[in-house]
Amino acid sequence: MPERCQYYRVILGELARIADHFTSNGASAMELGAFTPFLWLLKVRDWVWDILERETGARMTHSFGRIGGMAAPPTLNFKDDVRRVLPEVHKVVKEAEIMLIRNRIFLDRMQGVGVLTKEHALSYGCTGPMARSTGIPYDVRKDHPYLVYDRFDFDVPVGEDGDNWDRFMVRFEEIRQSVRIIEQAIEQMPDDGPINVDDPRIMLPEKDAVYTTIEATIAHFKLVMEGLRVPKGEVYSFIEGGNGELGFHIVSDGSGTPYRVRVRPPCWYNLAAAHEMLIGGMIADIIPTFGSVNMIGGECDR
Amino acid sequence: MPKFTLNGKEIAFEPGETVMQAAWREGIEIPHYCWHPGLSVAANCRMCLVQVESGRQMAMPQLVFDEGKGEYVPATKPKLQPACQLAAADGMVVSSTNEQVKRAHAAVQEFLLLNHPVDCPICDQAGECKLQDYYYEHQGTLKRKLTEPVHKPKGVRFGPTIIYDAERCIMCTRCIRFCDEVAKDHVLDMRERGNKNEIVLAPGRKLDHEYTLMTEHVCPVGALTSRDFRFKARVWFLKSGQSICTGCATGCNTHVDYDPRYGKVYRLRPRDNADVNQFWMCDDGMMTYTRQHTNRLLTPTAGRGDERTPVGEDEALDLAADKLRSVDVSKLAVVLSAQHSTEDNLALGKLAAALGADRLYLAALGDWEGDEILRSDDQNPNRAGATRAVSGAGLKSVEDLLADVQSGAVEGVLALGWATAEKLEELRPLTALDAVVSLSSHVAALPAVACVAIPVADTFEVGGSFVNEKGIAQAFESVLPLPAGVEPAWKTIAALARKLGKDLGFEDLRGLRQGLLDAAEAAQ
Repeated sequence: MPERCQYYRVILGELARIADHFTSNGASAMELGAFTPFLWLLKVRDWVWDILERETGARMTHSFGRIGGMAAPPTLNFKDDVRRVLPEVHKVVKEAEIMLIRNRIFLDRMQGVGVLTKEHALSYGCTGPMARSTGIPYDVRKDHPYLVYDRFDFDVPVGEDGDNWDRFMVRFEEIRQSVRIIEQAIEQMPDDGPINVDDPRIMLPEKDAVYTTIEATIAHFKLVMEGLRVPKGEVYSFIEGGNGELGFHIVSDGSGTPYRVRVRPPCWYNLAAAHEMLIGGMIADIIPTFGSVNMIGGECDR
Repeated sequence: MPKFTLNGKEIAFEPGETVMQAAWREGIEIPHYCWHPGLSVAANCRMCLVQVESGRQMAMPQLVFDEGKGEYVPATKPKLQPACQLAAADGMVVSSTNEQVKRAHAAVQEFLLLNHPVDCPICDQAGECKLQDYYYEHQGTLKRKLTEPVHKPKGVRFGPTIIYDAERCIMCTRCIRFCDEVAKDHVLDMRERGNKNEIVLAPGRKLDHEYTLMTEHVCPVGALTSRDFRFKARVWFLKSGQSICTGCATGCNTHVDYDPRYGKVYRLRPRDNADVNQFWMCDDGMMTYTRQHTNRLLTPTAGRGDERTPVGEDEALDLAADKLRSVDVSKLAVVLSAQHSTEDNLALGKLAAALGADRLYLAALGDWEGDEILRSDDQNPNRAGATRAVSGAGLKSVEDLLADVQSGAVEGVLALGWATAEKLEELRPLTALDAVVSLSSHVAALPAVACVAIPVADTFEVGGSFVNEKGIAQAFESVLPLPAGVEPAWKTIAALARKLGKDLGFEDLRGLRQGLLDAAEAAQ
């Protein structure tokens, strides 16, 4: 994959992570009665979604990645748009924190509630902010760097108590670290060069070439009708998603359709540990605890 | 046994064989267009180029662009040989996968696609086209030529069966060689030179010999297309079954291409069989599949002419049993079918024996013109099989049957098959009889005069075997599901036997075939 594409993917991915953390923390606060921080965070989330919409065409369901590249190159104003949003992110996160972190009710409902021990987190296979809140410093971007993450200077926030408060604060801190990564990526990203791998056996050719030349027509035909032929073998490929380690186990039999694909959704394993956090607490504690798991149904069950 | 090495694998060969032939026998594919195991070698496509790595290396001078100097400098590259023409030699080491050969594949493929029209969406060959397959495997670069592709005649009607598209043609001459060597009719040839090349018909001729659909079969691209199959189905929706052609007593092996979603057969293709049909089929044979979907008898009927009414399956069997019981067994004619499988005929023979009926006849289509290439003089696939099924007993013809009916020697008929007669008028004597039972897959002359007509399965719907004119027994498998309420003839005959109080001794096809083996042993 060309280098420019790797930076592009990092920036878009981190923007998506930021958007997810806004939603999670904002919804957690809202569920406890604090509606204003929710709308406040959603304001800046919408600006992030505006960037994603300009780049990919959709605010949330992007379907933008392709094998060997992306569906389209970055827009001309991509870097300016991102640079304009980042200070707003800092500002709004600070303001949302101010609204919440000295609020007695909020603290009482979050601190010491929904405690997950390190042992339980490890045994259930929790990853992401859930695991890091218990003190496990596992982040795929640091431990198994992919794309160009090894070129960036950033920290991984880790909690101590494994309660709802730690998860809440870990997410806010992660937003700040993601902004750091994006700033560095914007500086390092080449301004020209290909985004997609130059191989018609992997990438669909340009549409005008498909309509006018036989080679592109054949490439398009083969890729669409028979599928992209992957050499025989299996692979488990994993990244740090917003909720934790998102992995894909793919087995190929050499043909254009995979023999088996299994997704490792991070929140499935996180949700499995949820009852450890709930049992022994009060019914009202379910609300902030379940919110802090950030179970996204579409990711959990697909 | 002399041996040569291809891509590290040792292959034994007969002296005189080429590298391509030996590799093909071993199942190793060297990419090619113009070579065909059943035709002579032309070596014009240059796709099968291989490098002979043993012995004295031949080299070709070439100019290579030197990045450092910024200009072309002289160099050499190994001279590659077309594997289809390269005689295999003992101890030779050949590579069809090294760097030089890979570059040659990419280059040849690029040249072949240079002027090729952008026809994939409308070309029938899409999905089974070697240009597509080899592009993906060996080329993988986009077009470098910026000028308009050369235009040539498209949609040229070569004859009643074939349409030619000169732009798609890669001039491999397979069609020309086929017509010359196999069909023995020099009707196609090439005109002009270079990129103006085109296949043309001999002056004043049309492509009208008996094997024209084979030119479409050998064409590796969509240049020659069959008017029958054109635009009817996309090949990736079709599944294949293995069957035998029912057109004549040669019994060419076929692939039946059908769409499982609709249960419809779209075409036949020849299946390789060195002992029977080599790689070919005739046009009439290729078109026999249309019989599968036309004029089918699918519901049992009772009564003839205006009084014909549909009846239920069980009721039909009861009626048939009554009709057969009403006739004295010495006046009952049992008619086997040269169009039906040996198993069907065996079952009917067993029923005749169980009833004690010894008036056996064979219904077969009349003789027609065969040739020395593939077509037999007998247009029935299983005359030999039907004869074997009643080993020893003599089979009389339909003419004899009609004579016997008119003389009063026959008062009832139990007939298998639809091939009793070409025209209804010929069977007029049968209308005088009260007990005519027909087991048929098609609406035809005999079912029309039958008192009871019961549908049975056609060749594609049931497994069975035919015996061809050379005495080779060939099995075919069932390809399509049985229509509702229709059974294989042997099953219907067994059910009819049960209605008549007889047990024929088999429950399924395996039991029936065991009986065939036992009968064969008894005959010895």
